[in-house]
Amino acid sequence: MIDFTFTEEQDLFRKAAREFSETKVVPKIGEMEESGQVNMDVVKALGEAEMMAITIPEEYGGLGLGYSARLIALEEIAKDSCAVAMMLQVFALGNEPIIKFGSDEQKKKYLPGLASGERLATVGVTEPTGGSDPSGGRTVYKKDGDDYIINGRKCFITNSHIADTITVLAKDDENPKAFSTFIVEKGMAGFKPSHEEHKIGMRGCNTGELTFENCRVPKENLLGVEGKGMRVAMSAIGDVGRGGMVGCSLGVLNACLEEALKFANERILYGKPIIKLPAIQDKIAEMKLDLEIGRLLGYRAAALQDQGVRCDTEFAMAKFHTAESAQKAAKMTADIHGGYGCMNEFAITRYLRDAFVLGPSAGTSDIMRIIIARSAM
Amino acid sequence: MGESTGPVWVFAEQSDGCVLPVSLEIIGQARKLADELGTSLEVIFLGDAIHENAQILFNAGADKVLLGEHPDLKYYQPERYMHIIVKLAQKYQPEIFLLGSTATGKELAPLVAAKLETGLTAHCIDLALDQEKRLEQIIPAYGGLISIVCPEKRPQMATIAKGVFSKPDTSEAKQGELVLLEIANEQDQRIELLEVVCEEEDGVPLESATIVVAGGAGAKDLEGWQQIVDLADEMGAALGSTRPPVDEGWIEIDRMIGQSGKMVAPELYIGVGLSGELQHMVGITGAKLLVAVNCEPKAPVFEQVDYGIVDDCREFLPVLIEKIKASKAEKV
Amino acid sequence: MFKIVVLVKAVPDPKRASEIKIDPRTKTLTRADVPLVMNQLDKHAMEAALELKTQVGGEITAISMGPPPAAAILKECLAMGADHGVLLSDRAFGGADAYATAYTLAKGVEKIGSADLILCGMASSDGSTEWVGPELSVFLDLPVVTGVKEIAGSSEQWWQVKAHIDNGYRELKVKLPAVMAVTRELNTPRNISFSGIIKARKKEITIWDFDALGVPKSSLGLAGSPTIISDLRVSESKREVEMIEGTREEKAEILVQKLADAGLF
Repeated sequence: MIDFTFTEEQDLFRKAAREFSETKVVPKIGEMEESGQVNMDVVKALGEAEMMAITIPEEYGGLGLGYSARLIALEEIAKDSCAVAMMLQVFALGNEPIIKFGSDEQKKKYLPGLASGERLATVGVTEPTGGSDPSGGRTVYKKDGDDYIINGRKCFITNSHIADTITVLAKDDENPKAFSTFIVEKGMAGFKPSHEEHKIGMRGCNTGELTFENCRVPKENLLGVEGKGMRVAMSAIGDVGRGGMVGCSLGVLNACLEEALKFANERILYGKPIIKLPAIQDKIAEMKLDLEIGRLLGYRAAALQDQGVRCDTEFAMAKFHTAESAQKAAKMTADIHGGYGCMNEFAITRYLRDAFVLGPSAGTSDIMRIIIARSAM
Repeated sequence: MGESTGPVWVFAEQSDGCVLPVSLEIIGQARKLADELGTSLEVIFLGDAIHENAQILFNAGADKVLLGEHPDLKYYQPERYMHIIVKLAQKYQPEIFLLGSTATGKELAPLVAAKLETGLTAHCIDLALDQEKRLEQIIPAYGGLISIVCPEKRPQMATIAKGVFSKPDTSEAKQGELVLLEIANEQDQRIELLEVVCEEEDGVPLESATIVVAGGAGAKDLEGWQQIVDLADEMGAALGSTRPPVDEGWIEIDRMIGQSGKMVAPELYIGVGLSGELQHMVGITGAKLLVAVNCEPKAPVFEQVDYGIVDDCREFLPVLIEKIKASKAEKV
Repeated sequence: MFKIVVLVKAVPDPKRASEIKIDPRTKTLTRADVPLVMNQLDKHAMEAALELKTQVGGEITAISMGPPPAAAILKECLAMGADHGVLLSDRAFGGADAYATAYTLAKGVEKIGSADLILCGMASSDGSTEWVGPELSVFLDLPVVTGVKEIAGSSEQWWQVKAHIDNGYRELKVKLPAVMAVTRELNTPRNISFSGIIKARKKEITIWDFDALGVPKSSLGLAGSPTIISDLRVSESKREVEMIEGTREEKAEILVQKLADAGLF
């Protein structure tokens, strides 16, 4: 370890992501905020810019660039739109179980379409009774000949209504300790996205419920080993999911700091811009420090992930720190704005709302604390 | 100086035989330089059916006009024009050679300079002679002014935009020497001119406008830019800009005001959301009354105008437009 | 094989260029830490080269004269799709005016050899002389067209283009090889793609110093520049500003009143 600089190539990835975000995402932010809906032009642009291909291996149509490159892309996009970054991060989250645990046939069948953006992915794990503790889930499967039948309901699923390929976690209805994961495809009988959520923030990213009513899934769609599904689900959420949240949070944190600097340089009090006041500089210093810490934690975890080394605790720390810091930064920046911090025309109000949604995504801060404490004990 | 100094040269550009105003303006300034140097002022004039228009060049102050008249020369052709001028320069050894910063001048000047292996300064906002009688070529840069000289090579070349110098009085008929150049029948071998197409300028022309409204990066996006357009419409003003709106694609480059754009001298200039960069501000030195609106109180523009308003353009412009409408309504 | 050479320049980021100022005491430029980016108009030149390569095949070499950090700009060109990059970098090239810059670039282009088409942006955001294209064409003894806004068609040796003039455009046929300086209207530059960056791993950037160009030092850099800067000064303003204060409504009213008083409407 120890070289703390990005490579020339990584700088180029960042540049490419920045150019993409400025030309394809920024013009659509207004629309997304208004409607709260996913913008299909943005989804198409993401596919054309090969954003979904970053973590998919080259032999299956991806770019095989790894998780550091992914984090760079997410960070840049999130600086402009947390919603789009969230949507993109969950595509990767949905791809991961197939990349890590799929058979060669499954990888050949699904990954090329997912890499090009023709097909979109997500993961169906969370339920009303099983979020922080997924083993509390009640969605069940039973064998029926060569097939499996799934019954249940998933909630708070990002990309619920746009995903074509969903990795679903279900419990063996005869053995509550055994879980399996299945690849469910849009259009399969008995499966449908049902209720759509209206979130306070991350508008432009769709979140909703998935309903399974005697959904018949062929045996070819069993992902990994039957009965060992919890491992499949958690490995995806643990590293890729949390890693994605780090990208989203760093972007929001960055955006808050820039807004704060801009406003503080323009606003005059006592004949000087308020950035000259110690109270304001304290806030700026805190945000800057949080940002640097977040980047160090996040990129270190991603570097370990690229090396294939276990990094779930590192990601838990990075996710915890960046999500909490983003929320703090949003509040501090709103404070710096004074009354304007409550007005919708000011970008800070969007960052406040987006930052809120960072907290419970991919594991609440309290759960992160437990994971971190356990690693120390 | 020991040996006699070569002449001061100006390239007079023509369109349909008529001399462009920028060339006359440069001749006016060149007259002063020639007088100070104690040398003659000579004008290169190439085109077709331009004979009669040579008089206006004498009236502007030229001592000599080197006239190249030929159907081939009706429109600017880079290789032809360059070769004619280079041959003349090698023969007459001019001390100084000035051209207008027109599309033609901007291409022709560097071609000639490279061929004569001499120096060239673009978009000068002033010309003077320094203590050593060298041509001081002044350009704005980095919030200040830079003086450039060409110490050894000759001629010292520079281009100047329309409106930098004032038009000389051409009402009085003056005498001068007319030299008719021999022009052979020869086309450019490597570039063939097929067609010249004139396009009418949309909207109120900048150079003749009474009121100019200019916008800058502070418009932030197309929506913000539209408000500036609305203000210009409401005031019957010509719309101009700094460089960023051109780069963003909100406005055409021929509406850019400044050192490498247009020079304007309106009665009233209102700058909205622009910081007051020198490159832009030199384009409005001829304006009578200057007003600026900008959200940054520290913007340099506020040191260069008569009235300044600190406010967010997006919020302020609609209110201003309302007040203007109300004021006009009162008058009726 | 059709060979295109694109001249690109690394310039201070125009969004932050106003941070560079003249220090009135030392008469030099205070260089703030402004990062270098590719000159915007050169991206349009690169895009033109890439579109031509798609149509007629061939090879693109991007060339730049600048300090070592300018190599990052060439890397970008490779990521956009150029095949080779050449950086002319040497202390001896420093302090060059437009003439010496064009001369040095011309030597670089000659060394690359057999270019059919040389493209560059019409002007750079930090100098904006618009000279380099035409001067280069003289040193290479090639025809030049500046202000290119449309490439209308091509046959074996003649290319048809539309170029800006004041208040309109001219349409020309140019014989290749030629130099063309392009404008914003010509195209929309593509974004760098991830796979472009991956492909660029196998491509090379060659660095040539003054030895490699084989020309006398007196022709390069400050020594080879016919023009020099004789003075730098901060400009003084001659106006006394009156700041209009008050609420938004009040400010607008006062301004309108002042303009009405001045007889402007």
